[in-house]
Amino acid sequence: MKGSYRIVVKNAVVRYDFEIRRNITIIKGDSATGKTTLIEMIREYYENGKSSGIELNCEKTCSVLSGREWKVLLSVMKEQIVFIDEGNDFVLSDEFARLAQESGNYFVIATREGLVNLPYSVEEIYGIRESGRYAGLKQTYNELYHIYGEKLYTETIKPEKVIVEDSNSGFQFYEKLSQNQRWPLYAVEEIPGCW
Amino acid sequence: MLNIFYGDMPEAIYNPSVYFKNVYDESWIVEPFTKEMIKDVDKSTVIGPRIIDSPVLGGITPRELSGGVKTLILIDHVPDKVFNASACGDNCAKWLLKIGEKRDVTINLRHIMDFGDEDFCIRVQNTGQLIHNMDELLPVAGKLVR
Repeated sequence: MKGSYRIVVKNAVVRYDFEIRRNITIIKGDSATGKTTLIEMIREYYENGKSSGIELNCEKTCSVLSGREWKVLLSVMKEQIVFIDEGNDFVLSDEFARLAQESGNYFVIATREGLVNLPYSVEEIYGIRESGRYAGLKQTYNELYHIYGEKLYTETIKPEKVIVEDSNSGFQFYEKLSQNQRWPLYAVEEIPGCW
Repeated sequence: MLNIFYGDMPEAIYNPSVYFKNVYDESWIVEPFTKEMIKDVDKSTVIGPRIIDSPVLGGITPRELSGGVKTLILIDHVPDKVFNASACGDNCAKWLLKIGEKRDVTINLRHIMDFGDEDFCIRVQNTGQLIHNMDELLPVAGKLVR
């Protein structure tokens, strides 16, 4: 699967409208923003279609993966946008990472844990917030927003310290970047009691 | 005091929402402290032990509360279990600290929660260290979870 897919899902009280751009998307953020409500609506529409009372518009099939039989379910999911709610610890496993990569599906995963086995972009980590658009509608209108990197900082910065993981490429990058600005630059291994 | 074990903890309840659905007691919901947590985190008002008024979803039962507030209620009421508090967003952090002010409690965190700008006192169980603010917490927790 390639490309971006817009998903609009709504019922009588809540509406979500967002775009999925890559094969791994993470949803995190505060409690009570509607992550589980969204995924439950996707599940109910997948199971019951229009008779669920939910409207879902997307070029691809949207489904939900959960439970002990996740491998069996995943093996028959093709060309789908697969949602996974928090509480499914299989997303942390090497096996899930491998099967997810091989499956060709897109995955939208609600979790606050770092998924170290999965390659995903910081730009594809989102929160859910109530949108200012469509104010006055009876429905609550929700959208995704970038948790990291939405605002590009374009002013000159003057950090008190710059700390990098080690003295390899990251250190060399910041050393070059800060050449004329004399930022105090440390590799974390040089700081007593740190790392 | 709030005690935190960072990282994988096999004995912890990983999915507190499922646990809550099967063990919660209606009397918990109408306690003043629980009502405050539900109001603050979920912006919802407890009408009675079986009904809560949500500004988005309308009338809901305790089972439809957010995963975060269900986890807080469990941490407050089931002291003999350790719960995965990574089901809680940062908007639950102050309530974890408040529960820790009431009594000794241990939680499991699998991510770095932001406990805010104010000073606090928590113990990181992995290392035994007492931590007093986020500046102290970040280098310690950052070694234990990503």
